[in-house]
Amino acid sequence: MPEFNLRIRETDWVRLRKHCAPSFRGRKDTEIGAIGLLGKRAASGVLRELIVTQILWPEPGEVLAEPHSALTFTSRYLRRAHISMRKEGLAGLVTFHTHPLAGPEVGFSWYDDEQDPLLVENLQEIWPSTLLSSVVLGADSQQGRVWLTPAQQLPARRLVVIGEGLQYLQLDGGRASAAPAPSAIFDRATALTGNGALALLAGMTVAVIGASGTGSLVCELLARAGVRRILLIDHDIVKIVNLNRILHAGKEDAERRRHKVAVLKQRIEALGLGCEVIPVVGSILDNAVLQRLNEADLLFGCVDKDYPRMLLCKYAYQHNVPYIDVGAEIGGDQEGIVSTDARVNYVAPGRWCLRCTGLVTPRRLAFESLTGPERKRKIALGYSDDLLIKQPAVMDLNMRAASAGVMVLRHLLQPFLRAPLPVTLAENLVTYNMKPVAAARNRNETCDICQANALSGFGDCGGTIGLASDIAEALLDEDERSV
Amino acid sequence: MERGLPVHITGAKTQIESLAAAGTAIKLVTEGPQPYAWVGSIAAPTPPWDRATYDILIPIPLAFDLGTGLDGFYVALPYSFNNGEHNRVNGQTLTLGGRQWRAVSWHYPDGKEFKPGTDTIESHIIHCRGFFLARGAVNARI
Repeated sequence: MPEFNLRIRETDWVRLRKHCAPSFRGRKDTEIGAIGLLGKRAASGVLRELIVTQILWPEPGEVLAEPHSALTFTSRYLRRAHISMRKEGLAGLVTFHTHPLAGPEVGFSWYDDEQDPLLVENLQEIWPSTLLSSVVLGADSQQGRVWLTPAQQLPARRLVVIGEGLQYLQLDGGRASAAPAPSAIFDRATALTGNGALALLAGMTVAVIGASGTGSLVCELLARAGVRRILLIDHDIVKIVNLNRILHAGKEDAERRRHKVAVLKQRIEALGLGCEVIPVVGSILDNAVLQRLNEADLLFGCVDKDYPRMLLCKYAYQHNVPYIDVGAEIGGDQEGIVSTDARVNYVAPGRWCLRCTGLVTPRRLAFESLTGPERKRKIALGYSDDLLIKQPAVMDLNMRAASAGVMVLRHLLQPFLRAPLPVTLAENLVTYNMKPVAAARNRNETCDICQANALSGFGDCGGTIGLASDIAEALLDEDERSV
Repeated sequence: MERGLPVHITGAKTQIESLAAAGTAIKLVTEGPQPYAWVGSIAAPTPPWDRATYDILIPIPLAFDLGTGLDGFYVALPYSFNNGEHNRVNGQTLTLGGRQWRAVSWHYPDGKEFKPGTDTIESHIIHCRGFFLARGAVNARI
């Protein structure tokens, strides 16, 4: 039977646990609960994850609960939630409720087993596509499931809590099981990443967008960190000019015009670390390619352009998926080089997007999102010289950025860096300075991408994010279209 | 998704429709996948310009909804300024809608660039209109 994950923002999860905490205090044994709205993520047409888009906190009288008896969500509360779900075009509802006497183990009661199918039947009578997920909470445990129909339910595997960190909580109602011991290949990494985090890394699918200077290094580091499934996305082929910067790419690959993703798949898999690389040839601007991100648990942006970065931001907030963006910049003036920045940004719900951090600029984004002919006319006018400067392709510098990015991933799973993570972490080697940028330079409290995104957590219910294939193609630079 | 439809210019479309509804001569046109706002009846003093109104084209970046700036525009040909050419009408030409257009080098001053979320297509039209009025004339090299 297929399994699915439930995804929730850290702030919602913390508030939900706080809301339910009185249930586990004292001897009143009163159940507490709340209803949430659900977005969804499907890959190849198969439901993969449900996302808690929003929790509709109960108003007075909307939940009926007496000590020692089962809680009831009133029809008014259910109706309010169902109307919101339909109005927003969302996938379903999730009910959370406590079992006050449950501690490290919790399970659905016979009453839950009896009531859930009736509830989903009622909801589907009104709106046939409604999914119903139910989660029962113990003091230190949780169990979850989703009802596709009154007769068909799927067990939930994990609750993914995303925010300043990444928590993967079991939804099987049991105690957290001991993580398997790592294979001998990885056992010396446990000093930094314990067995639990290693097991999580091994279970994750990490999407790496960009397979050039930084992307190839990130793939290598991920494989060596213990990631066993990498979704690698890039549209380009290996060229002679790339050979100084793409790890594992050789002259023969350039001569045979092999795709970067195919080369990396072959070489990374040959390392013998058990890492599978799934190559995707295409531009991340193309919606058909971007949709493949639904297979991923985390995104690594290794691109040097603002339009893909903004689409990845939009995707990350709409799907509640963590996004680590890495890059390198060399700054100079007439005197010479003043900075060599190896940079990493972490984008997640509750944090600033790359536009608010100032990494993505309106001017560059505008320039990159003109079609080829219009961009050429713009260049001919002048005033765009600074926008034509390519990002540095210095492997030693790219390597520092890739390394910092993978260290951030390790930290998300098992914190060891000072929290919260800065908006931008940049290492300037010229001044021997690791610079944590705490404030978002262009912060906008009403930013429709990160702070006030009306589609946050909607997943696929929020509509398409990428462009039609022909338009994505029209935006590529001429030298990029030589495939 | 409708094939060939740029998905990140919904905001631009809404602004153009709203301006059109309010009486501005404006419509969204495309050259392949590249969208433009075609704005008619931009007033110009005669002289130095050879006519009282001009049509202009404003390129709309495909990522408009994600927070892009707007910059520059095209003027419909032919035109004349002081019985000759304006030195800022110096860009490449494009044919669209059966007319020829030429890019005008008319940019925002440093530090006063188009601000997404604050500035709009309407405010950019006002900026473009400035080219045909005193500021543009002053900028012309005699």
